[in-house]
Amino acid sequence: MDHSRRVWIGLLVGLLGLAGPSAADETCQSPYIPKLTGQEDFIYIWTVGIEGLGDGSDKVVTVGVNPERSDFGKVVSSVSVGGRHEAHHGGLSDDRRHFWVGGLDDSRIYIMDLATDPARPRLVRTIEDFTEKSGGVVGPHGFYALPGRMLISALSNAADGGGRTAMVEYNNDGEYIRTIWMPEGAPYGYDARIKAELNRMLTSSFTGRNNYMRKLSELLGDAEAMKNFGNTMVVWDYHARKPLQILEVPGAPLEIRWALRPEHEYAFTSTALTSKLWGIFRKDDGTFEAVELADIGDPSKVPLPVDISLSADDRFLFVNSFLDGMVRVFDVVNPRAPKVVYERKIGPQVNMVSQSWDGKRLYFTSSLLANWDGTGGDDAQFLKAYTWDGKTLEPLFELDFRSEKLGRPHMMRFGQIDFYRGRVSEGGAGG
Amino acid sequence: MRTLVRGVLTGAGYLRQSWSFVLLASALVGAPSPVTAEDLRYELPAAGSYALPVIDRVSDYEMLGADNRRGPLLDLAAGQCAVVSFVYLSCTDARGCPLALATLRRLDRLLADRDDLADRVRLVTVSFDPERDRPPQLASLRRHMDPRADWRFVTAASPTELRPVLRDYGQDAVPLLTSNGAFLGRMRHVAKVFLIDSEGAVRNIYSSGLMDHRLLLRDLETLLLTDAATPRP
Repeated sequence: MDHSRRVWIGLLVGLLGLAGPSAADETCQSPYIPKLTGQEDFIYIWTVGIEGLGDGSDKVVTVGVNPERSDFGKVVSSVSVGGRHEAHHGGLSDDRRHFWVGGLDDSRIYIMDLATDPARPRLVRTIEDFTEKSGGVVGPHGFYALPGRMLISALSNAADGGGRTAMVEYNNDGEYIRTIWMPEGAPYGYDARIKAELNRMLTSSFTGRNNYMRKLSELLGDAEAMKNFGNTMVVWDYHARKPLQILEVPGAPLEIRWALRPEHEYAFTSTALTSKLWGIFRKDDGTFEAVELADIGDPSKVPLPVDISLSADDRFLFVNSFLDGMVRVFDVVNPRAPKVVYERKIGPQVNMVSQSWDGKRLYFTSSLLANWDGTGGDDAQFLKAYTWDGKTLEPLFELDFRSEKLGRPHMMRFGQIDFYRGRVSEGGAGG
Repeated sequence: MRTLVRGVLTGAGYLRQSWSFVLLASALVGAPSPVTAEDLRYELPAAGSYALPVIDRVSDYEMLGADNRRGPLLDLAAGQCAVVSFVYLSCTDARGCPLALATLRRLDRLLADRDDLADRVRLVTVSFDPERDRPPQLASLRRHMDPRADWRFVTAASPTELRPVLRDYGQDAVPLLTSNGAFLGRMRHVAKVFLIDSEGAVRNIYSSGLMDHRLLLRDLETLLLTDAATPRP
């Protein structure tokens, strides 16, 4: 094709605004990250170290998950960061070249290079002055890629260890940009998620360091401490980073998932303490409303809902609950009337769930927080992989992180060799 | 137009016969774009009501222009800023380079009508495919875009000279290969547009979802008209 024709076709496509594939990632990540649409080769798991187990350090563990590779179901590599920092969440940079992971205890942030050797991530930068640079923010929690930047939603502050907190932006080189404190009336933080088409960001709320570093059984018995959890979500003008609305969502709303189809103007969240599924819906006037949609298990038994994962077609919402180790699958085709269509016990406890872009594979990890794990009696630590056919989960493999002497597996992100090498095969990474 | 759209979507042969005539004719007679941008689904924040903090800093680089002359990429005087977009002409991702080109074209028209901004903003389209997008191709692109304001089209003299530019801006561009290692003619990249002030500071980065000419104009107003510290050229 000659260049003149290429130019015109490109212009025409742009002017007409022809819709391409969604720029979202494996269903739950920032819309600014290119997606892996084919078979993932690796899962990178940010893992909490256990004293006396292996080297005892927090680490990023790489597990092979491609059935066509010899390392399927095996630990491929691990990179320790030295010491225990309450490893928790992490996220990919907007070009997927780096995996940022954070420690909730001492607020350290580690940046891993994935691109040079996707099978063997390596630590390329440690940020030790997050609290100092950010003006007193503690507990870097969510890592959400923006173009050229990382948006870090935090949990606490250095002044009193309570729940008043902020979002902090860094550029992709790991340099501090700015701090955006949560607004009065909604000081808590947890997750931050963007619906770019609407220029709206939603944030949710958990609790401060004073609470999340305590033993859960002890915390649940402390009525005064239990008052210090967030009951709000905030709707932001994302571009301006200005809060627009505070929504009442009682009981610590945690993970947020915007619907992925551009025309779907709603999001879901689950509340940890009240065990409810909530929907956040855009109204005709452009404002948002929070609507309680369904119970998650039996709220009176406090199953403690944790991670959620929405399928790329906005049909199935997988909802994990920590204390009963269950996943419940809601059909959310009608987002205001979700129905449980499947449930399964994953293990004695379960926290995170990640699914492939095609929705055929789901991965579960067990750890929530070092001092909260094992509250139900069995502190099993695992990665479990399943296939999903739209009706049932079938086991694919599992990996015992204790017998492997690794620790408590938490946040998962996917990797694919061909993505970094530029190789394309049918069903592979898109361009 | 409906016929043309159908041609684009379903019939390459039809497209080859139709696209150039309709769009070229439209451009030649100075008609408005046959297609308008989608309505925004949100209200733009007021100019000056928000901050555009420094995200990063970039250097200026000598590039090769559509006129086959070498010159600086930015070349900004005090009080000016640039909107820099990285593209390659073979891109077929509707939300990638075509969207970036269409966005800058719309912004170019808006700027041309703004006496208070037109001489303070430079649009720069940089091809990151210097081996295929040579000055004649950039000149062709320029003719098709028909700039009304200050819009330049450049590339690097070679892939070697391009590398530090992409690294500095954080613009990825990975050639896509078949399993046999043959180049597919396409590149994996995150479509990005950069707002750069006269000090070489990156003040915003736009990608799909918020890559919109009206939002870019609002940022330019915020940066150039409401920042009292910004001197006029």
